[in-house]
Amino acid sequence: MNHPKSSKLTHTEQEQLAELAAQTTQQTALEFATPEEMLRHDSHLTHVPPSLVERLRASIAREPSPERPWWSRFLGQPG
Amino acid sequence: MSALTMEEIVEPVAESGSPASVAPPDVPAAALSLSSPQLDAIYQEHARPIFYLALRMLGDPTQAEDATHDVFLRAYRKLGEFRGQSSLRTWLYRITINHCQNLLQTWHRRHIHGTDDDALWEQAAGPAETPLRILETRELGQRIQKTLDALPEEYRLLLLLVADEKLSYEEIGTLTNQTSDAVRGKLHRARKAFASVFHQTA
Repeated sequence: MNHPKSSKLTHTEQEQLAELAAQTTQQTALEFATPEEMLRHDSHLTHVPPSLVERLRASIAREPSPERPWWSRFLGQPG
Repeated sequence: MSALTMEEIVEPVAESGSPASVAPPDVPAAALSLSSPQLDAIYQEHARPIFYLALRMLGDPTQAEDATHDVFLRAYRKLGEFRGQSSLRTWLYRITINHCQNLLQTWHRRHIHGTDDDALWEQAAGPAETPLRILETRELGQRIQKTLDALPEEYRLLLLLVADEKLSYEEIGTLTNQTSDAVRGKLHRARKAFASVFHQTA
């Protein structure tokens, strides 16, 4: 069987590749019963930017000491 | 850093109590060194859900990061006023919702073509029971954002809050100023609206 010069794959190899591609697609396909299930999944994939904690640390360092908790004031504990 | 313009924060009181805890004991305190192990633990447990809510409300990662920063800074300032009448998560969500809603009102730059007419969404074609399928994980966030942007704000917020399994319907009702029965009723319409728009974004 002759193949076009541009293709180095045999027919069988092409079929195997197509099957593999289909399997890969199936593996990445996601299905959700409800929107909140989808949002939950999306939330778990979402990462907080690592720079945020550093920014927050710098901002807090510039802040005066916060109010002591009400229970701490009530009990007379040091802040 | 963007200025905080939020209204006075009123600690929401859940209709039925979930145990309130300032420093969740089951959370390992990461070495974040924010200012105290207590704040580290709070950040460790709540930063992602707060960031996610801000991200999907504002639709912009940079703005969401700014908003999350402002929320935690506000929480740091007001932690002494937190009396445990609601869960800490609910309290942080209240701050986040107020802040994001203020930002959205101020910007007037995003053109969200949503409609608040419930009747229109009620008639929307698209079976809510049809599974929501997506082939590529990488397009998930984009399609979700596009869908949420097209929904009425109330539906968008309800779905985002219900997605957090740590919140009860009572707490969601408290956060959205309605009864838990109203939440259940609107949630059905919100799901239907989401599914309808989502299928159109394919």
